[in-house]
Amino acid sequence: MGEIKDNKGYQRELFDRLKKSISLKKEEECIGLCLGSALWWLIEEPHPKDACLKKLISNKCPVLKDKNSYKKNCCLNTLVEVVKKAGKSRALTNFECLEGLRGFVYPVFQGDKLYGYIGSCYTKKYVSPQLMNVFAAFTDAIVREVQKELELSKLYETIRPRAVALSTVHTVHRLISSTLDMNELLQRIARLSLQILRANRCSIKLVDSTKKLLLPKVTIDLREKKSKLKKVRIGRWSPGKAAKFGRPIRDINYLATPLIDEDVIGVITLYDKVDKKPFTAFDQEIMSTLAEQAVIAIKNAQLYKEQEKLTIGMIRSLATIVSAHAKGTNLPRASFLRITILIGQKMRLPAMGLKELEYATLLHDAGHLVVPDEVLTKPTKLTGREYSMVKEHPITGAEILRPMKSLKSVTPIILHHHENYDGTGYPKGLKKDQIPLGARIMAVVSAFEAMIEKRPYRTRISIDDATEEISRNAGTQFDPKVVQALLEVVKRQDIRAMLMKERYGKHK
Amino acid sequence: MVSINEGTLLSELHLKIIKFFHENQASIDTPRGVSTWVREERPKVKQALEDLVVLKILSAHRSTSTTGYSYTTNKKIISKIEKLLKKRNPS
Repeated sequence: MGEIKDNKGYQRELFDRLKKSISLKKEEECIGLCLGSALWWLIEEPHPKDACLKKLISNKCPVLKDKNSYKKNCCLNTLVEVVKKAGKSRALTNFECLEGLRGFVYPVFQGDKLYGYIGSCYTKKYVSPQLMNVFAAFTDAIVREVQKELELSKLYETIRPRAVALSTVHTVHRLISSTLDMNELLQRIARLSLQILRANRCSIKLVDSTKKLLLPKVTIDLREKKSKLKKVRIGRWSPGKAAKFGRPIRDINYLATPLIDEDVIGVITLYDKVDKKPFTAFDQEIMSTLAEQAVIAIKNAQLYKEQEKLTIGMIRSLATIVSAHAKGTNLPRASFLRITILIGQKMRLPAMGLKELEYATLLHDAGHLVVPDEVLTKPTKLTGREYSMVKEHPITGAEILRPMKSLKSVTPIILHHHENYDGTGYPKGLKKDQIPLGARIMAVVSAFEAMIEKRPYRTRISIDDATEEISRNAGTQFDPKVVQALLEVVKRQDIRAMLMKERYGKHK
Repeated sequence: MVSINEGTLLSELHLKIIKFFHENQASIDTPRGVSTWVREERPKVKQALEDLVVLKILSAHRSTSTTGYSYTTNKKIISKIEKLLKKRNPS
């Protein structure tokens, strides 16, 4: 704060605030009453050309109002001399003006620093030393109050932009750490970077496996709808240099910031500020902070992707084991997976819900592992006991998956995929919305699959016959909304072609 | 695009929020953060922020946990806001 106090601007600001101070005005009113009458003035420096003093002499002083300019100048010069004397003595100084009226000057000091002068003219009564002491004490208190106000305001001006920036960093952290989808994450990082730096273009490139190239992942240009995605060799151009040297590369119209984990994993490059100003050191600092957060989010997304690959690999292995050991249970065809996901999308399932549906599709008949082969492949009608065994398979399937914590949300779909919409299904006899949506979708798709695929106990029927049969059971066995979604999906040319190719090995 | 005239339904709260973002154009903040800066109740601020998104004065960055709001980069809108704020507060 010492440096600021030495600043001339600070002195002027303090003096301006003092001039506007309500406390000082009140003090002048009170002291003015004790003095009979008074004209008050505040000046920074004693000088005959000071506007405040000139105004006082020319217009305000009732005695000098009608006097000639010579008299006015004499009075002005005398007053200036008195003020100078008060400044030197650093004390309240009384004086008598050329017209025989009294006044005083009080130099405003804070420590060694002289901020200006407060003066009074045209006082009709005798100014006692006691009254002067009261005035000096009050004035000092007011100056200290104004000084504190100014310092607080300065502090606020300094801290507020930093607090706003800190809040922005915190918000960015929350926004980018809330997604684990790499594409969505990189798009989000690019958009937020553009926003924070007010730039026109942002490009995010990630280092490839050979560590020789930067592969373009996202480019957003606010000026053009289409943006080119270019590979960059590490060491070339600004992003390549930022990756090579592991430090930001900044110029007037670009700023390339490396994404550093243990090694450089990529580069965020911003081009052309919207206001056409150059990128600054502050921009560089902000981007470095954002890059640190981006790295954590990118690593999390990469780890999640790896985890997801492991999970799907494990699920596929399990599904293969099921199909190998449980006769009559086949790995779901690609078309059924696709139909299930498309229905899930039509039913507005979130991304996570669609993943769960995909996993459940692969494992929905895992419980067949404990059903004897002769029951699964029996071409004739099942006995009561055999049917009971089959009815157990959703529970067994859910039990098999229960130890896998990452598939916790998949088990309800498997457990309830044989529930009927009207409550006549198994294992719990749940109705309508009591049945998880994923399970309602699975019920429709697995029935459709069973109808159009050859089974030991029945011949397959055509796609149209199968959809007709399912439609007939909408509202009883199946959720009508899911049935409607199936009908729409199966009408699609690509899905039809896929089903025909899987069934007959060709398009039809 | 909805024009930003004084006739457009902009309350004092809307103007306070616009002023905040105009003065801090690099800021991205949540309803909670903005309500702190403009010293107003969060539900009202949240609604006002959404109104300003519709007017394209703010952009919304939505995620599952929160929404971040930031100032437009459209120069024409910024210039209109500049004039609007000057007219309302000449000092």
